[in-house]
Amino acid sequence: MKDLTTSIPRAINWNRLQDEKDLEVWNRLTVNFWLPEKVPLSNDIPSWGTLRPEERELTIRVFTGLTLLDTIQNAVGAPAMLPDAQTPHEEAVLTNIAFMEAVHARSYSSIFSTLCSTKEVDEAFRWSEENPHLQAKARLILQEYNTDADPLKRKIASVFLESFLFYSGFYLPMYWSSRAKLTNTADLIRLIIRDEAVHGYYIGYKFQRALETATEERRQELKDFAFALMFDLYEIESKYAEELYDDIGLTEDVKAFLHYNANKALQNLGFEALFPPAACEVNPAILAALSTDSENHDFFSGSGSSYVIGKAVATEDEDWDF
Amino acid sequence: MLDHGMKDGETLDYHALNAMLNLYDENGHIRFEADRMAARQYFLQHVNQNTVFFHSLDEKLRYLVEEGYYEAEVLSQYPREFLTQIWDAAYAAKFRFPTFLGAFKYYTSYTLKTRDGQRYLERFEDRVVMVSLALARGNQEHAMAFMREIIAGRFQPATPTFLNAGKKSRGELISCFLLRLEDNMESIGRGINSALQLSKRGGGVALMLTNIREHGAPIKGIENQSSGVIPVMKLLEDSFSYANQLGARQGAGAVYLNAHHPDILRFLDTKRENADEKIRIKTLSLGVVIPDITFELAKKNEDMYLFSPHDIEKVYGVPFSEISVTEKYDEMVDDKRIRKKKINAREFFQTLAEIQFESGYPYIMFEDTVNKANPIDGRITMSNLCSEILQVNEASKFNDDLSYDHLGTDISCNLGSLNIAKTMDSPDFGATVETAVRALTAVSEMSAIDSVPSIRRGNDEAHAIGLGQMNLHGFLARERVHYGSAEGVDFTSVYFAAITYHAIRASNQISIEKGETFVGFDKSTYATGEFFDKYTDRDWLPETEEIQALFDRMNVTLPTRDDWAALKKSVMEHGLYNRNLQAVPPTGSISYINNSTSSIHPIVSKVEIRKEGKIGRVYYPAAFMSNDNLEYYRDAYEIGPEALIDTYAAATEHVDQGLSLTLFFPAEATTRDINRAQIYAWKKGIKTIYYVRLRQSSLEGTEVQGCVSCTL
Repeated sequence: MKDLTTSIPRAINWNRLQDEKDLEVWNRLTVNFWLPEKVPLSNDIPSWGTLRPEERELTIRVFTGLTLLDTIQNAVGAPAMLPDAQTPHEEAVLTNIAFMEAVHARSYSSIFSTLCSTKEVDEAFRWSEENPHLQAKARLILQEYNTDADPLKRKIASVFLESFLFYSGFYLPMYWSSRAKLTNTADLIRLIIRDEAVHGYYIGYKFQRALETATEERRQELKDFAFALMFDLYEIESKYAEELYDDIGLTEDVKAFLHYNANKALQNLGFEALFPPAACEVNPAILAALSTDSENHDFFSGSGSSYVIGKAVATEDEDWDF
Repeated sequence: MLDHGMKDGETLDYHALNAMLNLYDENGHIRFEADRMAARQYFLQHVNQNTVFFHSLDEKLRYLVEEGYYEAEVLSQYPREFLTQIWDAAYAAKFRFPTFLGAFKYYTSYTLKTRDGQRYLERFEDRVVMVSLALARGNQEHAMAFMREIIAGRFQPATPTFLNAGKKSRGELISCFLLRLEDNMESIGRGINSALQLSKRGGGVALMLTNIREHGAPIKGIENQSSGVIPVMKLLEDSFSYANQLGARQGAGAVYLNAHHPDILRFLDTKRENADEKIRIKTLSLGVVIPDITFELAKKNEDMYLFSPHDIEKVYGVPFSEISVTEKYDEMVDDKRIRKKKINAREFFQTLAEIQFESGYPYIMFEDTVNKANPIDGRITMSNLCSEILQVNEASKFNDDLSYDHLGTDISCNLGSLNIAKTMDSPDFGATVETAVRALTAVSEMSAIDSVPSIRRGNDEAHAIGLGQMNLHGFLARERVHYGSAEGVDFTSVYFAAITYHAIRASNQISIEKGETFVGFDKSTYATGEFFDKYTDRDWLPETEEIQALFDRMNVTLPTRDDWAALKKSVMEHGLYNRNLQAVPPTGSISYINNSTSSIHPIVSKVEIRKEGKIGRVYYPAAFMSNDNLEYYRDAYEIGPEALIDTYAAATEHVDQGLSLTLFFPAEATTRDINRAQIYAWKKGIKTIYYVRLRQSSLEGTEVQGCVSCTL
């Protein structure tokens, strides 16, 4: 399926599945489709005004950091994994992932244009280009996305990005929303989290499938690579978190959250946890804020994160029996 | 994998403690104690430190009046000794908030604060007393009775009343407004102005668009001129976001359209996920008015015709909303003068369900059901922002300068709810209902909205009130009855019949005292006595042994047929003071303060995640729930639509207005499931459907571990 010019071009047949998981994830991703316009971000303007200038600067910076990661995943990450796809359906899922990453990157700009001035945003983008830690982690991931790199290592890097690197940024809107600040922005971020959770899970699953047929030696190599990369990324993340969060005194809390998510990322790849439970005691307010389901919101000030595109099925005569 | 231990519980902040409610402990138990600790820490860490201290009641009242926080006129109606007496009695009740959210919500949104918003000037008891004093207007006996009902948690006034009464700078006491729009620019312009005025004062506003001519209709005889209802909706949406009550409450509005209006599909498409920005409606709520004929056409799988409101008005001489589509359908189909187009009826219902999947909207009002059950002379053409208000209205006519050529009536409604559990515990069930009716009547008498004369006239003539109910699920679970079971439905029916009896009795009593009835009483089925037939022809007493035993055990005396016959006689002779008496609202905020489950809904989750602009994300345990009675707290998604509809149908039987009924589905459901529930609801005589809510369970492997609200 790699090269349409040399082999027989084949149309994708969703009725002949090699891997049921492709359809399950495809369905999940398509019902989860959303656009930032559905969230009434402008309701957060009064709340934005109550943040102190340094809190605002932090928030904008965190979001530019997230924008960078989504940009990488959209433009490089997901497309780079396309040639590695084992089934045509996996390719379809990956293109969906790529597109939603573009939606995510786009939605941070919606937040910016609603809440901030152009000058503030431009400054933050400049900051993101100059921040050594942010640039370092971006480079580390991009290196593994390189076309000559090992396909499975590419998946490891991708899972780490989706399930680990995002969360130092996700922490902040979750923290604000637990303090009744920027709650609509948090809704939007929860929609992103809802997607990233599925992305990380799916790519991790594909990695585990590939591992099933690998030799013991190869498995060990990949595991060593994964932990080594995790250590490198963790070191950068710690510095990044310190730089961002030291001033408002949240660094310890953010780190516990990083440990929790590092373990989750490794779990997605089928590896054991790296950090002991005691190091993962996430602030309950943040952890509980992550769950996207069954939230009871007041419809007049927000749109919630639980609506989906439904499955349309026509009614039959028996339904109209009255 | 995670240890959510309770160590260091004392030093955790109250948000973290509250969030622990949503995470099971190591033995799989819900940590109710963490939430109680959160409530306690909230007072210790925050409230007590930020409350202004006064040495005495005198000092406090003098300060609050002099500084312009309290209305002097409210207090000067009472002698000083009485004030001391009522305040002492209120504090002696030893009120405590049992949940963190209750306390947090009260202090964030209700209590009186210093002008900079930094310090608290009232405790819960102070708010209760001020509301009681304001509503009793100098009557000491009533003031004391209101205070006792509210502080005991039996009666809870709706947010606008509880938030505003007694304060010097305040919004209106009324919750909810309904306005008609007619097919001319004067009416639309006036309607937008009224929406701004009412929104500024803090009420939810609903507007009826059914009479506005459709997209492409002629203006002054020139074809293809009108742009239909969408631009009007856009104007309204922007008006509501502009006007909010000093930032206290977001302006909120709804619009209703008849299913047979030619713009109906455009109207629904404004809520599509991929709707163009130019037509997308984000914050305005939508409602659709569906007559019986639409169901009949769908049953036969036929097309449904949509009729031009412009032509209907020309042919019949009355606006679209004033005719029954069911009655005139065939006639209008055959009338050449009425422009029409057609869509498939089943596809219409399917589209409705698709939009509900994506957005939760629209609400639905079953037009013919509503009008058949209406005891008042006139037509009900729309509902309100929470789909529980169902009253008649009358069109206004305007002169060119926007003054009234004919002043019609528009609708307002004062709401307040009884806590079913506490009302059943009440030493005097009938007196509790009567006190609540008197408190709500006071709100109507104290309100005069001069900025919208049609609302003022409607309120002056009708004194309509909406007595609601909440904590049904909490009560049933406390008494170990399953929500939606035969016993649960039996209780609902009997309870609502008894409430209806006492509410009518109270309104009749007020009418006797004042020697006055609502305008139009003599044309109602109360006056003819017809309304009472169903209560004098049969008993409304428990049919199951369990519920009979429950009423016996709790010492609540139920009205017999003889009681009803006597009441009928008195009503026919003396009349009723209030044109409308009951309406069951969804009760968001006030049920948290009152420690209730919302309305008569089943709970949405054992631990509810509540999110609002002002409070953020907070966790709330269902009322009376403990680790020992969890089996009675099956949530709305587990209970399913049929049991919920059966419960609502039992209550609907006795409620003169409507009940906000939300339907709950797992995200795996299809539009067909939603359609079937709608058909079932219509068949069972439900009057309105409020939101459709969906719950999506996390994909296995991506859920937050150990989370109570996550579906397992």
